[in-house]
Amino acid sequence: MLTQIYVMFFMQYFIPSTAVLLCNTHLSRGLVAYQKNRDVEPFRLTAGRIHAASSHSTVSSSRAASMHWTGERVLSIVLLMDYSIAAALTLHGHWGIGQVLTDYVYGDVKVKLAKAGVLLLSTTTFFGLCYFNYHDVGLCKAVAMLWQI
Amino acid sequence: MALLLRTVARQGLCSSRLQFAVLYRHAVPMGTTAKEEMNKFWTKNTRLNRPVSPHVSIYKWSVPMMMSISHRGTGVALSSGISAFALAALVLPESYPYYLDLIHSMSFGPQFLAFSKFALAFPVAYHTFNGIRHLIWDLGKGFRIPEVYRSGYIVIALTVVTSIGLAAM
Repeated sequence: MLTQIYVMFFMQYFIPSTAVLLCNTHLSRGLVAYQKNRDVEPFRLTAGRIHAASSHSTVSSSRAASMHWTGERVLSIVLLMDYSIAAALTLHGHWGIGQVLTDYVYGDVKVKLAKAGVLLLSTTTFFGLCYFNYHDVGLCKAVAMLWQI
Repeated sequence: MALLLRTVARQGLCSSRLQFAVLYRHAVPMGTTAKEEMNKFWTKNTRLNRPVSPHVSIYKWSVPMMMSISHRGTGVALSSGISAFALAALVLPESYPYYLDLIHSMSFGPQFLAFSKFALAFPVAYHTFNGIRHLIWDLGKGFRIPEVYRSGYIVIALTVVTSIGLAAM
């Protein structure tokens, strides 16, 4: 079920029609039911209790829990975004610089050297961006933080 | 030769018929590739140290020309920036928030910050919008000269507006 949720959330960005599907399928109803159960069960449990003071906090704690769950999914998407952006940028840049080389560099040896150099640069760039995504704040957050200076 | 073949074809005669093979029997497939031919051209001409006729230095600059080289320029600049960022991430000892705080502590004026944001946003916006223009060309649309100029001006306008908008954020 969780993998289905991941896939559906992921697909929304690539195939917009699946966003509609997500709203209408048993999955979303299952999601709603899942959340409803989590809200309802604490009530049932507290109904039998003598002191009812905790009933409000169990509702708010399950609300906090479901928000936490949503936050986890959002973070997963953002991480996906960070790595997708890293891959897209480096590949686009690699091909782009390759075209510039083809236009201005002549001679078999020079072309080979230049292409090897660009490949090394692109690989290092991708590795560096992934390192940044993993060990540091990540690309999306980095741009947001930079803009807030 | 080609003219002869075309006149023959226009009259609806099939040139693959045996009696017409005599017209192109001397034509053989090329022994070298285009790449090899170009390499031969360049090695011979650089060896002979022949001067190149002025081209970019004398041709009248047009808006489409300037936009095309700007697209390449912004692309190379952005790619270099990203590579520099990635290399810095690998080499520098501290984390990203540390360096941001360092910049923050330098207390640059708000105009300078806004201008820096504009300077960062401008090449990104230009390359993106002109990139979309390229993709529209790849669909085969907008090649007529007035259309080329119109789409070019739209890209420039969008770039300026977007960059100002982003710098204000």
